[in-house]
Amino acid sequence: MPSNRTRREFLATGAGLAAASMLPTLVFAQAGATFRIGSLCPISGGGSSYGSGMQKAIEIAIADVNAAGGAGGRKLELFSEDSQTKPDAAVLAAKKLIEVNKVQAVIGTWASGVTLAVMPLTDAANLIEMNCSGAPAISTEDKKDLVWRFQATNDRFGAAFAVIAEKRGYKRPATMAFNNASGIGNTEGFKKAWEKKGGQIVASVVYEPSRPSYRSELQQILAAKPDVIVTGSYLPDTTIILREWYQSGQDVKWIIPGWAANPDLVKALGNEVCEGIISVDSVSNENAPSYKSLDAQYLKATGKSLSSNVYAAMTYDMVICIALAMEAAGANATVAQVNAKIRDVANPPGDKVSSFAEGKKLIAEKKKVNFEGASSRLDFDQYGDVTPDFGVYVIEKGQLVRRDVVSI
Amino acid sequence: MTTAVDFVNLALNGLVEGLLIALPALALTLVMGIARFPNAATGDYMTVSAYAALGVQKALGVAIAVAAIGAAAAGIAVALFFHLWVFRALARRRPVASLVASIGIAFLVRALLTLFVGQEQQTFQVALVRAWNFGGVRLLPTDLYAALGAIVAMAALFALLHATPIGRQMRAVADNPDLARASGIRAGRVMLVMWACTGALCAVGGVLMGVKAVVMPELGWELLIPAFAAMILGGIGSVPGAVAGGVLLGMVQELSIPFVGPSYKIAVTFGVMLAVLLLRPRGLFGSAPAAR
Amino acid sequence: MTAYLVAVGIVALIYMLLTLGLNLQYGYTGLINFGHVAFFAIGAYASALLTLSGWPMAPAFAVGTLLAGLAAWPIGLLSLRLSDDYLAVVTLGFSEAVRITIQEERWLTKGVQGLPGIPRMFQSLGIGEYAEIATLALLVVVNAAAVALVVHLVRSPYGRLIQAIRDDEVAVEALGKHPARLKVQVFMVGAALAGLAGGFYAHFITYLSPDQFLPLVTFYVWIAMIIGGPGRTAGAVAGATILMVFLEGSRFTRELVPGVSEVQLASVRIAMIGLALILMTLYRPQGIFGERKE
Repeated sequence: MPSNRTRREFLATGAGLAAASMLPTLVFAQAGATFRIGSLCPISGGGSSYGSGMQKAIEIAIADVNAAGGAGGRKLELFSEDSQTKPDAAVLAAKKLIEVNKVQAVIGTWASGVTLAVMPLTDAANLIEMNCSGAPAISTEDKKDLVWRFQATNDRFGAAFAVIAEKRGYKRPATMAFNNASGIGNTEGFKKAWEKKGGQIVASVVYEPSRPSYRSELQQILAAKPDVIVTGSYLPDTTIILREWYQSGQDVKWIIPGWAANPDLVKALGNEVCEGIISVDSVSNENAPSYKSLDAQYLKATGKSLSSNVYAAMTYDMVICIALAMEAAGANATVAQVNAKIRDVANPPGDKVSSFAEGKKLIAEKKKVNFEGASSRLDFDQYGDVTPDFGVYVIEKGQLVRRDVVSI
Repeated sequence: MTTAVDFVNLALNGLVEGLLIALPALALTLVMGIARFPNAATGDYMTVSAYAALGVQKALGVAIAVAAIGAAAAGIAVALFFHLWVFRALARRRPVASLVASIGIAFLVRALLTLFVGQEQQTFQVALVRAWNFGGVRLLPTDLYAALGAIVAMAALFALLHATPIGRQMRAVADNPDLARASGIRAGRVMLVMWACTGALCAVGGVLMGVKAVVMPELGWELLIPAFAAMILGGIGSVPGAVAGGVLLGMVQELSIPFVGPSYKIAVTFGVMLAVLLLRPRGLFGSAPAAR
Repeated sequence: MTAYLVAVGIVALIYMLLTLGLNLQYGYTGLINFGHVAFFAIGAYASALLTLSGWPMAPAFAVGTLLAGLAAWPIGLLSLRLSDDYLAVVTLGFSEAVRITIQEERWLTKGVQGLPGIPRMFQSLGIGEYAEIATLALLVVVNAAAVALVVHLVRSPYGRLIQAIRDDEVAVEALGKHPARLKVQVFMVGAALAGLAGGFYAHFITYLSPDQFLPLVTFYVWIAMIIGGPGRTAGAVAGATILMVFLEGSRFTRELVPGVSEVQLASVRIAMIGLALILMTLYRPQGIFGERKE
């Protein structure tokens, strides 16, 4: 970032924001040569356990693309901001990315509230927006088809839960949801899909975040004698609920989203409590070459396996999708032209490719490509949403063992 | 349908939660009674203590009861540090100055904790045992221990206040600071002891809460509003009041679930607090008038 | 760049309006309101819901402002019966009760799903990016009007009475005035300003959800007031500006502090705010620009 030097000197004078108003000329001076990507990951706040990894994956992807000689004749340039997992902070951060850094795409927004708050801005500026959010409203609010969702919607998660519950022969499901858009979205998605199959929910409860105990809520659910409890929950509340459930001694099975039922949960509760819990997550495209190569790079960069952060694979794919679309749209394409090519390069038909370099070569040969991402097959529907497969993991002796893969 | 057994269970849950809330409420009411301001950093003193206990348990592999000693040391140290640095200097100013400073301390402590320990949850290693079941009334052993721990801490505080010379001095300062000074009580020493007690109460509260729930940087901050409410309900400055307020709030909260659900239960506690204050502006046990 | 500064300016001015309201309540009258965010939320939701159902913006703002003021009425009455500490906690509890109500009454507010697509101000004029500049200008005017209102209130005989209440309520009563009614009115005016700020906020962010109205917002406003100096109208203006420069400025300082990751930076930012609050109360209780009085 060539402007850093100058900016640093400006700010070192202590003039702060006032000095920043002098920047526009500097920014314009370097526009045009690169395609500018703004990353707006949840570095702090509720999504902080994922944010840094997501941003790291973006950096890896950009390095990959630039190492292959850039896309559509241009290199990619990255500007990063922290959404703080809060809509109002994210709006200002997005404004900064759009106005100060003149980015052409804002990617990596995570919480639904953040995406919903940022979308109107990117829409108004006709920029590409790519997110990992679950709220169904994102599909309907996206009027210009500029918004791309790399995460399964809450509805799809719920539908996957229903398929799993049916397959395993459960008859009396109950639901427990954390009181936010995603928590409720999961259990309501489940209810919708389950009732469509002619089933009935025997009890349901929505509970408040950050409580020291969920015994009373749990008691209400257990009183209905369910054979399985489906949750839309997060790690801390799941830890407390399961600990209290185990002590209560009542026999019931659990279907829990993967971001809550993970190795940290086992670490917190021990093998015995977690035995038999079913953890469901959208599966990354683990057998794809793109996943394997990213996994190696990610491990090197962060010291962690890519499987510890499903969103990192998604943000990586965001960059590759944009780059392939740029390549397909040709030199100096506008944002709208690039955006129009995203479905082309990600969806079938076409030759399956799993890296930018591979795709670039085929596009140069005038072939139609179909990018198979690290996060999923990446086939976008008319709303710009993907439909990943869902992995069904059962916790056995403290290990998450994959037992099934469900497609909806 | 909610049966009688269910209500007994709900009341039990409420009792345990209430006892845990009573600890920070006690810490608040001590400061309120003697230093005369609402200490918004109370919850964060709890969090520091909980992390200290975790650290001790991880480092030495000792039982939680032993680790709690480390927590108490941390709680007392933090409470005394901020007393000596901030609150002592603000003693002669309006209470709101100390209140605002305590909000600053709350922010500072929580942010530093997050900086050093991260935002991921941590848990105490506790052996989980099945609940004792008495005809459907379930008693969780961990809940019983938590309740016992809280009761022991309260009893110790009560004994200190009523059976030791320094305790009598503390009560004298709380009742009438001018009279206490006139009769030769050294206010500085009383303050130190009071803050040490506050730190210790926060430590017990933090560890018990950490054992029952999970340890995160927001652990204590989230308890601040209920603890405030318990203190107000019981009457500012009253030790039995804080306990009664905590227990009453806990039970009302849980028992209201069948009627209003788990979200509005929090608003219900606020309603109860308001109702009590309207009928009895000094709270249940308060002696100092809360009204102007 | 300009548009970004405009956006930061809009948020700063929204906080300024909030701070002016709180400053009127606390700085001049000594009413301790720790539930300011409740009135902000009421104004925001009222205005958003009305415009989403087809109302024009101006009356929606007016209703939001009015509702926020009215919601303060019972709390104002309560403030007459309760001493400072009790009032602080009661107002804090009130703001949480309001937030939970917004969250739970899904038929009205869509609950935790939030309200997307709230219309922007001046959007219908079709003046593109100038709409935000117009918003900023309007906010400047509104803030100036609010400052004028506060100054007028403070300088009027009424205002001197208000300040007298803060300093010695009994004496005011002895003069045969009714401090009670005045206090309730001041409380309501302050809350109405917060409601108005809420309207601007809703139509600027365009997406509302209950978790944007946590007590943290109240604390930020208190911080702005304390930095600027309570009881000083210019202080409210300065305090809100400094708070905003501090919160937003850290985006630009990141490159200046090597070796601090972004996660850490978020913590450092909060820690700095806390430290500033402690140091201000200890050493500059009159605010950074004020002259030492105490």
